[in-house]
This record gives sequence, C-alpha cells and structure tokens, in this order.
Amino acid sequence: MDWRRFGFIAFIITILFSVVVLIGKAEISPVVIVTSMLATTIAVATPLTLGALCGVYCERAGVVNIGIEGMMLAAAFFGWLTAIYMNTVFGLAPMPSLLGGVAAAILTGGLLGLFHAVLSVTFKVDQIIGGTVINILAVGITGFLNRQLFFEKGSIFGGNVPHAPGVLPRIQIPLLADIPVVGRIFDQQPITFAAILLVIITHFVLFYTRWGLRTRSVGEHPRAADTVGIDVYFMRYANVIIGGMLAGLGGAYFTLESVPSFEPLMTNGRGFIALAAMIFGNWTPFGAWAAALVFGAAQALQINLQFFRESIPPQWAFLQISYVVGLAPYLLTMIILTGIIGKNIPPAADGQPYEK
Amino acid sequence: MKRLYGVIAVLLVAALLMPACAPKAPDCTKADVFCVGMVTDVGKIDDKSFNQSTWEGVKLAEKELGAIVQYLETTDSKDYAKNISTFADAGYDVIVTVGFALGEATAAAAVQYPNIKFIGVDQFQAWPYDEDKTNDIANLAGLNFPEDQAGFLVGALAAQMTKSGKIGGVFGTDVVPPVWRFGEGYRAGAQYITPAIELFIVYHNDVGFDKTFTDPEWGATTANSMIDKGADVIFGGGGKTGNGAVIAAAQRSVYAIGVDTDQYYTLPEAQKMLLSSAMKLLTPGTLELIKLAKEGKFPSGNYLGKGGYAPYHDLDSQVPAEVKTKMEAINAGLLDGSLLTNVPPVKP
Repeated sequence: MDWRRFGFIAFIITILFSVVVLIGKAEISPVVIVTSMLATTIAVATPLTLGALCGVYCERAGVVNIGIEGMMLAAAFFGWLTAIYMNTVFGLAPMPSLLGGVAAAILTGGLLGLFHAVLSVTFKVDQIIGGTVINILAVGITGFLNRQLFFEKGSIFGGNVPHAPGVLPRIQIPLLADIPVVGRIFDQQPITFAAILLVIITHFVLFYTRWGLRTRSVGEHPRAADTVGIDVYFMRYANVIIGGMLAGLGGAYFTLESVPSFEPLMTNGRGFIALAAMIFGNWTPFGAWAAALVFGAAQALQINLQFFRESIPPQWAFLQISYVVGLAPYLLTMIILTGIIGKNIPPAADGQPYEK
Repeated sequence: MKRLYGVIAVLLVAALLMPACAPKAPDCTKADVFCVGMVTDVGKIDDKSFNQSTWEGVKLAEKELGAIVQYLETTDSKDYAKNISTFADAGYDVIVTVGFALGEATAAAAVQYPNIKFIGVDQFQAWPYDEDKTNDIANLAGLNFPEDQAGFLVGALAAQMTKSGKIGGVFGTDVVPPVWRFGEGYRAGAQYITPAIELFIVYHNDVGFDKTFTDPEWGATTANSMIDKGADVIFGGGGKTGNGAVIAAAQRSVYAIGVDTDQYYTLPEAQKMLLSSAMKLLTPGTLELIKLAKEGKFPSGNYLGKGGYAPYHDLDSQVPAEVKTKMEAINAGLLDGSLLTNVPPVKP
C-alpha cells in the first residue's frame, strides 16, 4: 500500500465530508458534523474492515475467498441465536449471553473457513465455486432456521421473534472520550474497537513475524515454500480458518452490536464490498481499512445529506436523490480497479490449488 | 446395505403419505363457512408492527364472528398475486392484503374474483372516487388511516418534550404515501408547537424497495447520527428500519417514539425510553371492515380508520400535566376537524 493511494483515500473522504459541512454549516457547527460523520463512518466500516481482513489472510495464503458474505451472514445468525438461547432458555445474564454470542459467531466463521479450506486445499475445488457454495449455503440455512425456529406455529418461542439480550455496551476510552464534541469518536462499541486493533495486529503478523512470512510465501510461490520445508497445506488451512473467524466477528457486528435482531440477508452485500475494499487496499490490512472507511464515509454522507435536505442549493439538486449519492463508493471501486491509482497486485499464487 | 435402502424407501413412502393424515381443513367453498385469508407484505406475520396488528384484527373476527382464518407470509414481492390467488382459489370469502405494495395485485385480483371481498390495508384507492361510487371496484375497500394526524400528534409531543430543541425522525421510503404522511405529519406537529424547531427527517430511499422496511441496522445508524447532533427525541417509522431507530434511541437514553401500534408491547427493549407511539388503529379498522363484509354492507373505495397516540407508560411521570392536557386538546381538535395538519395525501 503506497502513500499515493492513502492520499487519494484521504482526499475522497475529505470531499465527502466537505459536501455535508458546506450544506449543513448554517444549521449545525462543522465540528459537530465532522465528528458525527466520523463516528458513523468508523462504526459502519466495522464489518467491512473485518471482512476485508478475512480476505487478506485467505488470499495472502493463496486461497481466494468470495464466501465472506456467507460467513458473515451465518455468523450473524448463529451468534444471535446463541445469545438468545443463553439468555432466554438457559437464563443467563445479558452480558455473558452476548459474549457467548460473539464466541459462537467467531466459531461459526471459523467452521465455514475450515469448510472452505477443505474444499479448496484438500479437494482442490475451484475456489470461486467453493466461495459461492458458502454464500448460497448461508442464505439457505439462516433463512430456513430463522423460519423454523421462530415463525412456525409451535416453535420454541411460540411465533414471537425474540430480540437478543440487548447489544454490546459502548466503551468510552478514558480521557479521549471526555473531550467535548470530538470525544464521540472514542465512544464506540467493542467490535468496532476490536476491528481497528485487528488491523494493526494483522499488519504486524503479516509483515513482522515468521508466521506472516510463511503465509505470504505459500501465497506467492507455494512450490518454493514447500522445498524449504513449509507445510503449504497447513498454512493455507490455518489462515483460511483465521480469516473465517474474523469474518465471523464481522457478522457479530450486525446482530450483537448494531441491533438486537436478525433479518434474512441482513449483510446485504457487505461481504462483497469488503472484498472490493481488500483489492482497493492492495491486499494490505491498513489499505483495506482505509478503503472500508471510504465506504463508511459514503454511507455517512447518504444519511447526513438528508438532514439538510432543505439547505441543498438548487444546482446540487441531484444530491437530494439519496441513491445517487449511494452510488459513489461503487463508482470509486470501479475507478480504483481500472488501475488509475497504481496497479493492484494480488499474491502470485492467489486462487491456485497446490499439488504436491 | 440393501436393508438400509429398504428402510429409506419405507421412510420416503411414509413421508409422502404424511399430508394425507393431516386434519382436514374446513371447506371454504361452502356458503355457510365464512373464511378470512390474510396476505402479509414482505415481512413476517409477527413483525411487531403492521402485519401483526392487522392479523390481530383478523383473529378478533375469528373470535367474534366465528370466521375461519388463515394467513400467508410473503417472502418476495413477486409472490403477491400468487398468494392472493391461493386464498381466492380455495374459496375464501374475504381476503385481507396488508400494505401499500400489494395495492396493484389486490386491485387486479378484485376484478378477477368479483365474488370475493378484498380489504387492502394501507392501500389508497387513487382512481376517481366519486359520490355515487360508479368508478370503484365494488368488492374492494382500501383501509386507510390519517397517518398525518398520528404523526402530527407525536410531532407535537416531541416538540414539547425536547430540551435541546432538536428532534429526529427515521422512516422507510417516502415513495409509500402513508410513510411520507407520517413523516410530514410529524414535521407539521412539531412546527405547530415550535415553528423554528430543528428537525432531522430522514427517509430510507435505498434502491431495493423491500429493503427500506427491513434494515434495522441502517435505522440504528441514522438515529445515532441524529443523536450525535443533539437530537433528544427520535421517532422511528417504517417496519424494522424504524424499530432499529427506536431501539438505538432507547439505548442512548433519549426519548423514542414508535409507530403503527403501541410499540411498548412490541419492543420491550425500548420500554424505558418509549414516550409514545403514533398509532394507526389497525386492529379495530380491520375487524370493522370484516364485519361489514359479513353483514353484506361492504363499502367500496377508501375506508378511513382512526389515528391516535399511545399512552406514555413508564414515562408517564416525566410528562408534565400541561403537556398531557395540550395533547388531549390537539387530539380532540384533529378528530373534530378544527385543527388541520395541511399534509396532502401523497407526496407532491
């Protein structure tokens, strides 16, 4: 990830924020607007960041994973289900139930990662097909169970969909969160903080540890890695499972951190946007995070523009149509992928099964 | 191995025979059996909002009129017509369809099955609707509500209860007139109390129509963004999207206002901060129309139900007496027509 690309991303986010500040400054102070947009951006980017990190681990080890969407959706459902069962059926307090739910979400992601590894590493199934299988499986299984468990007559909750026991509480970073106005950025929920920490950890692991070097080597040139005694299959298995667990944590964001309820197809394509963010970030953790923030900023823009709908000047009237604004991140992705901002270079052995 | 196949074969045959053993459904084609079928909008029967309140009205018909009742959940907007005709072909007497989005499919079915009475909840009958009713489809009634009045009531309440002078509203898509009327009624009510009040009103105009009512995460994010900017009352209107906003508001300890039904009972996690709800009195409205259908006095065209606001419940002690008095006066004014919301029926 080069500085030019970071500069470009910072530039885009600045533009997105400036539009709202320019329109809304008559009504609300720019500091409040920027703070609130940053808080929204960081929170909305959470599942994208975690999904993109999943992609980084998998693809750096040479396994293409387009099943991130399915992993997140399944994790969102099973995490939510676990939290509900622990809370209502086993009578645990809300907090342990929520933590149990998060653990279950991570486990679900990890298991689907294992499944993907079995398909793509051991059985050498086409990795795109393996990922598609996971996406379809997740939609089917969550939709079916959601219906069977909660909506059918005589189901355990008698046709009433329970909500999970609340959501994960907000955490205020001492001192920073006490700053008036700006402190709101440091008042977020745990998975959001965890995502940022994991970006840093992933960067360190990938580029400064033996594990990271081995991971990258099996993704770049598995034959060479094998000849120096690195177990290619093991490295690929382990990294795909780690990636799955990260996607699982991303899934937990939907049902345990954002809202205490599950909706079929709740992830709404965010797994694929995460994949775009990973490419946008050139397969690096910080790059992927920055790209995820662009998507977050675009959503913050979409929400905030409507607040000041009356103040939008007539020559900018097209901004009143919120899906025009919503297109921004997708258009950006297409521009980035064309290679204007430097070339995107995937790991050399990305997507290729390894034959001993 | 061979025996295993045998066992599987037996089980398969048993599974095939299963439906035959199920209890026989009452025959709706008979004249003396009064059957009411309900088709939900995309969403669940227990959406804690729209489908659920209508279904409660249908179930009252089961209790009070001895009707045979059944519902079908729509999972995809492509299935509206199919679900309606499932009931129609089974000989149901009254078919209730829930939601604006089913309007076209309901009108088409009403023309196709002239002997069945159709109740379109929240479906404004837009064709020329004249005094002698010659242009109405005789067997179709749209059950509508003065959403603008319900929105006006909670808008006035929000404007009286805010301390920061900033209030917010998170809604489904404004392409749906009832949702738009809630939002604009809310605006009008708030401005009726405080003309210069700061209002954040956001409609979820995503590209996918279904999505705008089933996106609680977006609702929560939007409500949080409003609270960041100082809003201290949040009105959430529009299925699960609105529910997300109401829950988010309650979590951050600002006043929340629900929609459609008294959400004190449907969103327990928001109870402690739920100020009121802008209510469409769906249950009595649905029951009333089913009764009229059974008695052979079925009205066609638009049938206007009633709007209202829910009790303050847990926050009763926090609402000053003069606010309560004012709210009663506004409600009375809206009901007798002396107070107008000035919100047009559809977005201009």
